[in-house]
Amino acid sequence: MAAANIFRSAFGGLLRKSTTYRTPVTCRLSSVALQQKIHTVKAAVKLYNIQSLQNGYSTGAQSKPSIDEIKERVLKVCRAYDKLSGSQLTVESHFMNDLGLDSLDHVEVIMAMEDEFGFEIPDADAERLVRPKDIIQYVADKEDIYE
Amino acid sequence: MSQPQRKAVLNLYKTLLFLGRDWPQGYDLFRKRLHKVFSKNSEETDPNKIKIMIKHGEFVIKEIEALYKLKKYRAMKRRYYDDN
Repeated sequence: MAAANIFRSAFGGLLRKSTTYRTPVTCRLSSVALQQKIHTVKAAVKLYNIQSLQNGYSTGAQSKPSIDEIKERVLKVCRAYDKLSGSQLTVESHFMNDLGLDSLDHVEVIMAMEDEFGFEIPDADAERLVRPKDIIQYVADKEDIYE
Repeated sequence: MSQPQRKAVLNLYKTLLFLGRDWPQGYDLFRKRLHKVFSKNSEETDPNKIKIMIKHGEFVIKEIEALYKLKKYRAMKRRYYDDN
């Protein structure tokens, strides 16, 4: 029993000794390594930011569609809709009066526009968009595009 | 048709169309059927009857959702357990 105690205390002392000596060194080493890592990461992020900023500036103007492009896309979506494909479609034609759609078809056209331009059109706004021209204007307002 | 009910019906139509995109037999079939059903009752003017129809439409939405969930569950089950 006594022998075991002595052994334990000796072992404990050894352990304590080793921990007191080693931990600060390893800590410092790891902290230095960490700092270096942080530095490299920071530099990389800075570089990436600069690159993305430059890219953003160079492509920003082009990525925004022009009003003609929107017109093209709106008319394309209208033509793709099966009940409009045969009719003579212009930007001025009224969906219900000129093109003979009912309100349900109108909902479908608006849904197709939502898919094309990637944002939701609230029902209250959709009600007013009865000509391709109105849709073009609405989309242009939404995307902050002015002539 | 009064204005609030008109809005409710169009909203219902839109919701059903969205749900119809994943219809097993294809979106086109669903769209044509839905249009037919809605236009069949488009002459209805009695607000109470329209109210009942809107309720029925909401019930159909729930049914379709349940159908999709069941389909998903069966597909999962088939993938995890071979035989049954």
